[in-house]
Amino acid sequence: MSVLDTTDALDVAGYAAAVRRSLADLGPEQVDDLTDDLEADLAEALDDERHVAHGRGVLEQFGPPEEYAAELRAAAGLAPATAAARSGLPMGDPVQDARRLGRWTLRRLRAQAWWPPVESFLVALRPVWWLLRGWVVYQLVASMAGVSGWFPHNLPAFLVLVGFVVLSVQWGRGAWFRGSSVAWVATTANVVAVVAVLPLLGSAQDWLGDREAVYDSYQAGVLGGGDPQTIIQDKAVDGVVVDGMQVSNLFVYDAEGNPLTDVQVYDDRGRPVRTTFDNGFEQYWFPEATEPWSFVSRVDSDGRARWNVYPLQGAPTSEFTYDDEGLQVLPSGSTATTPPWPFAKAPALDDAPDAAIGAEGPVPSPTSTP
Amino acid sequence: MDTTQLLKGVLDLAVLAVVSDEDGYGYDVVRRLRAAGIEEVGDASVYGTLRRLYSSGALTSYVVPSDEGPHRKYYGINAQGRAMLEAQRKDWQEFAGTMGRLLKTEVVR
Repeated sequence: MSVLDTTDALDVAGYAAAVRRSLADLGPEQVDDLTDDLEADLAEALDDERHVAHGRGVLEQFGPPEEYAAELRAAAGLAPATAAARSGLPMGDPVQDARRLGRWTLRRLRAQAWWPPVESFLVALRPVWWLLRGWVVYQLVASMAGVSGWFPHNLPAFLVLVGFVVLSVQWGRGAWFRGSSVAWVATTANVVAVVAVLPLLGSAQDWLGDREAVYDSYQAGVLGGGDPQTIIQDKAVDGVVVDGMQVSNLFVYDAEGNPLTDVQVYDDRGRPVRTTFDNGFEQYWFPEATEPWSFVSRVDSDGRARWNVYPLQGAPTSEFTYDDEGLQVLPSGSTATTPPWPFAKAPALDDAPDAAIGAEGPVPSPTSTP
Repeated sequence: MDTTQLLKGVLDLAVLAVVSDEDGYGYDVVRRLRAAGIEEVGDASVYGTLRRLYSSGALTSYVVPSDEGPHRKYYGINAQGRAMLEAQRKDWQEFAGTMGRLLKTEVVR
């Protein structure tokens, strides 16, 4: 039992050579140290195993030589074989370093009592990342193609997005890209997505902000380029509006341009034309006034308050008091007066009634309503 | 339970214990570990461990010429190795005691 046959000896020599090849990056001295007795050990082990597992070859007994070598160097406390070592990079492979750092961090975290629930929570969130990853890759491709926006606006782009999401999720589930020849593509895409996700979300945020700003300025009428705004109210403005501004009082002049007082104004349906609807509570400023005024109504022969008698009369608000019912009234002693006229006399009209249509002076002249 | 994982943490201790009994070469140590009931240890793990313990100064090493076969490299324990063995033995027994109490079984000391 102590002598191996020729086949075994060849097997052992080949196996040992394969192990040494896998360790080659350590340098000849280390390899010699680690594998001094390798052939003797392998042969002895094989011979021993003959008792229990007759006919087993070297591979069945010891597994692939690469794994044997990996186990050997791991147990010896040496770094696992790296691509960097093979390519001779003096600084080490950054990818390997990052992986080592990641593993080390994970080990440290797993030692913490609070970590396991956090980890299981994060693991549960993985599908969210798969979706996000698909979207990020779509965004990168779309921005290269000159398309922007959170989501596609046409069918082809939408299909592209769906395609990336499916690829991402399938890879995440471990269904696709298991082969080493394509795994690096998926890994690269993953790394790119990790790097790109925050800037992308940031720019999407900016883009949304821009949209809001545009919308706001549209609302504010800035985009109209200074054109008159159209103010749409759900209830029509009651009262009298001149040049977009609600007027508080009307001043009436006759054909000669003399001011008239106590003129009743109605519309074509006989409704009183009112400028104010506050029944004397509001305050009104006139051009060049030093204090606001409030108006009072006239009383018709039936005793009803009338607010369509122009010019409205009133007094500075400070002169008003409140009566028992809480209404703002002028105390006895003060009398309502007509506010200052815009001008003492308006231009007189031509005699011919037709000419009055085209009458336009340098000052807009209020036309007396019938 | 996968004892391979458990073994990883205490392989040093097991190898030191075996070598402290009697000097041995690579496969000899494997054989004695198996004989002691540690079946699931890989040969390469034992060789690597021996190499590492030697590098860290816990073991000595010498080559024994053989008449019929190749020369074998023997490992023996030294003072530093014994100190390490004692410290780890104590740690292990405390740990095993703790685990035993936790699992409410008798621990053979």
